[in-house]
Amino acid sequence: MRNHVREQRIQREMSQAELAAALGVSRQTIISIENGRYLPSLPLAFGIARFFDLTVDKMFDPDEEEAGA
Amino acid sequence: MMRFIRPRLRKPLLRGIALLGIAGAWVIGSHTWEPAIVIAVVAVGQTVYRYTWAGEDTDESALLGSRADERQKQVGLRARALSGSVAMAAAYIGLVIALAVKRADAWPFAALLAVTGFAYLLGLSSYGSGEPGPEDEVTAGRQARYPVNS
Repeated sequence: MRNHVREQRIQREMSQAELAAALGVSRQTIISIENGRYLPSLPLAFGIARFFDLTVDKMFDPDEEEAGA
Repeated sequence: MMRFIRPRLRKPLLRGIALLGIAGAWVIGSHTWEPAIVIAVVAVGQTVYRYTWAGEDTDESALLGSRADERQKQVGLRARALSGSVAMAAAYIGLVIALAVKRADAWPFAALLAVTGFAYLLGLSSYGSGEPGPEDEVTAGRQARYPVNS
């Protein structure tokens, strides 16, 4: 499943550590989500989408494979 | 009681206490102090080492420091599941070998196998394997309206 966490984060000029702190998770988890190695839980997925003012389906695309995953 | 202990210290301290338990058992069983003192020193040393390690920025440190997020907890759970599976397999292999060579002291393997098997069943019942109840009132007696993919 492809997601747009990295693009959104870079667009807002945030570091992985800053995003992690804002969402209450570890930096390693943000890295795993961005690389498509970890699918976040529903509450975290909603948290990420809300944080970037997007809907979950705009943030996570189930029909697209993560490149390199 | 654990609430009064700093989260970062909890697991290192528990492991230290577990090692001190072994030292105590040694003293009770063999009435010699020297190895027990060595184990106690190792217990204190590893507690300090693990406490320091728990402050680092890694998945293992987060688990050790009781501040793991959902992914790290999942990693920890999978690691525990693997250790449980390995313990069960080791107990089974030990039991088979002990029985094959007709050793009388095969019972610890049998006991460990029984405990791990019972713990698995306990886990199934504790974590919701029996939760699905009767069909709901809408779908009972009807065919699904929508195609089911899986």
